[in-house]
Amino acid sequence: MTLVGSLAEAAAAVVGEERVRTHPLELHLYRSDAGLATGDASVVAFPETVDEVVALVGAATRAGAPVVARGAGTGLAGGAVPDGGALVLVMTRMDAIHDVDTANRTAWVDPGVINLDLSRHTEPLGLHFAPDPSSQAACTIGGNVANNSGGPHCLAEGSTVNHVLAVEYVAADGSIRTVGGAAPDPIGLDLRALLVGSEGTLGIVTRVLVKLTPNAPAVRTLLLSFDDIESCAATVAGVIADGVVPAALEMMDRPLIRAIENFIHADLPVDAAAMLLAEVAGHPDAVDSEAAVVERVGRAHGATVRVAADEAERAILWKGRKSAFGAVAQIAPDYYLHDTVVPRTRLVEAMRRLYEIAERYDLTLLNTVHAGDGNLHPKLAFDASEPGVLDRVHAAGREMVTLAIELGGALTGEHGIGLEKKELMELAFSRVDLDAQARLRDALDPDGLLNPGKILPAGARCAEFGRPVPEGTWI
Amino acid sequence: MTSIASLLAAFARDEVPGAPDTDVAVSPVTPEETARVLGLCSEHGLSVRFWGTGTRAGMGYPVEADVLVSTRRMTSVVDWQPDDLTVTVQPGHPADDLHGMLAERGQAVVLASGGTVGGALASASSGPARLRYGPVRDHVLETVLATGDGRVVRAGGRVVKNVTGYDVPRLVTGSLGSLGMICSVTLKLWPVPEAAATVTVTDPERALATAYRPLAILSGPFGARVYLQGTASEVEAQAAELGGEAADGHRWPEDPMGTYVVQVRVPPDRVPEAVRRSPDTHVAQHGVGIVTFGTDRLEDLVAIRSWAEGVGGAAVLVRRPDGADIEPWGSPPETVDVQRRVKAAFDPDGVCNPGILPGRI
Repeated sequence: MTLVGSLAEAAAAVVGEERVRTHPLELHLYRSDAGLATGDASVVAFPETVDEVVALVGAATRAGAPVVARGAGTGLAGGAVPDGGALVLVMTRMDAIHDVDTANRTAWVDPGVINLDLSRHTEPLGLHFAPDPSSQAACTIGGNVANNSGGPHCLAEGSTVNHVLAVEYVAADGSIRTVGGAAPDPIGLDLRALLVGSEGTLGIVTRVLVKLTPNAPAVRTLLLSFDDIESCAATVAGVIADGVVPAALEMMDRPLIRAIENFIHADLPVDAAAMLLAEVAGHPDAVDSEAAVVERVGRAHGATVRVAADEAERAILWKGRKSAFGAVAQIAPDYYLHDTVVPRTRLVEAMRRLYEIAERYDLTLLNTVHAGDGNLHPKLAFDASEPGVLDRVHAAGREMVTLAIELGGALTGEHGIGLEKKELMELAFSRVDLDAQARLRDALDPDGLLNPGKILPAGARCAEFGRPVPEGTWI
Repeated sequence: MTSIASLLAAFARDEVPGAPDTDVAVSPVTPEETARVLGLCSEHGLSVRFWGTGTRAGMGYPVEADVLVSTRRMTSVVDWQPDDLTVTVQPGHPADDLHGMLAERGQAVVLASGGTVGGALASASSGPARLRYGPVRDHVLETVLATGDGRVVRAGGRVVKNVTGYDVPRLVTGSLGSLGMICSVTLKLWPVPEAAATVTVTDPERALATAYRPLAILSGPFGARVYLQGTASEVEAQAAELGGEAADGHRWPEDPMGTYVVQVRVPPDRVPEAVRRSPDTHVAQHGVGIVTFGTDRLEDLVAIRSWAEGVGGAAVLVRRPDGADIEPWGSPPETVDVQRRVKAAFDPDGVCNPGILPGRI
């Protein structure tokens, strides 16, 4: 009996044959996420209970196979790409919403619950789950927790970690653990903070206590168009300097505006160099004056301002922003989306240099920016059938990430490191910093069973590192 | 000169006012120097206690240490970027100075006042504004930690959004010096809106259900107050909706005093019951789930602890007399074994504030 055969049989003994996939064509579906990287799954299983997850982890341990958990596979950084003949656990069948607690504004939810379904479920209660990635109609809460996902509205509300009170997970040793709770400031070390954003490397999330946010009683959505990128970026900085943190500040450049307009026909300003989708939300007596600040600052920078007249107009403007990915498909069949962060004050410089990089590599660049957070999403559109183009895309991408670090920013704001950026971690961190991260990983998963090969670059561990080294030494 | 003193002779030995007696006290001036001190202590099996101003020294199990490492010579504001809403400070910087400096430019940070920034961070002390903005750990962007075994480890970054690697800055927040010494921290700031008011109400829980995201709702011997912040028209409208007497600005109550100060942490809807079970000298944070009280009677702690733990919370001692042998935490969490391994990843020899955490980690 082969190893794969025995693992498949062991998995089938846990969840039944109908919830195990081993055929190469079926495995093919689970060899990648929404990014470009591909891997190799040996067996795919669909657990429905935490006990099944425990038993599957045990089966993989006995077979010597790593375990990769995945949700909807909307990640772009390769965080769910199986490596080394892994057992892939597809968590989407664990999709119940338990115990919505309106008094405490919390809910226990399964990892396979779709982000938008949760907010729709709690809508009648006047509550929602604040993180809203563009993929929110498809992505799962488990994936949000694994990647500490963001979205346009995390400008005012923070990323997923700010909205997770407790995590139940299955550890590498098969134990079921719960970290955090409904009470504030759980005593001891904050392990919940480690689990969130650990990209499936520290545990398999099986249940999440999420914090729910009251729906804003009033919302104003504005679309500002500018003749140059600089004025758009200056408006972003000016609004925040004026003491207003809008619910969202989304910037899009001309190539993307045109692509989106073609796609959804929302009467977008196709001749503008950039547009800013700004939303203020809050008390009815606050939103008008905050919207006025946005409008005043925008006009001072030469903006033309359109205020969404009603919910339908607001919805179509947001549809434009959230369908940016789809719109790019009209320009070229493939795209590569990066996710970097720069200090808000360096946005203009970052944008200018991104265009330079794209031009140098002869690639089409389109930009959406979570501008309030300085979170850039440069998209390179290309046709993968063109010989050598992927090399250019990767080289340009690397320069774009390097640029963010050079400007005092970060490798990733909301997509994660995964496979895509692990070799770039050395741009942002010293060997000692990375070794510390590796030690943390080893503390929770000493044998590297869970999603191996993610986040940390090869050689992150300084095995010989035991004692202090002289000041300034990078080993 | 003791052998410990000679071992650490290369460093600025110091008299640290108000600090507990140890064989040697040192006050390093850089992260690298801090790491070298800790590295030597690890190498020679010397335990270390960290010290700011002692404001929160009553938390956790008492630490018997050979060496005291003070943050009193690391007090700078390293970098303040008002337009990026970030500030980077050293641990010994007084928290009140930071609040004062930020206020001059109309900015604020979620961090308890009093003592040092390092102490507030190490104890995860958030202050009252967390109902609106979340706890301090939601605002920690980057930390530089001198680890127990003498490494300088930076994690996170000086940008407001970042998912690069494991979230060590949040892990460090509330770790009470068990992993090493925080040598600098970058915090996310908020612009302070134009108007502020304090509204006196009769029913704080009703106010919690009706007010739209107030900064804080506190109750205690001073009555019940809703703290509003926002545009002038919003604050005026909210105050009218709440229906109580409104005063401009924010009047915060004094921290509870007593021989013992206890912080009860429960799911927010349990606050009214926690209030009923607490002595009158309390401050309740409605919607947050924290009731803090001062008492001279240890029985008050014992009585409320079993109830708080029964509803998924804790009753934590945050101030006690020196040398008092009282259980500070109550029942340890079920993940003590994991926590011990996490500590060992930073402090393998267990020299940093040994035994201070639940489970005597």
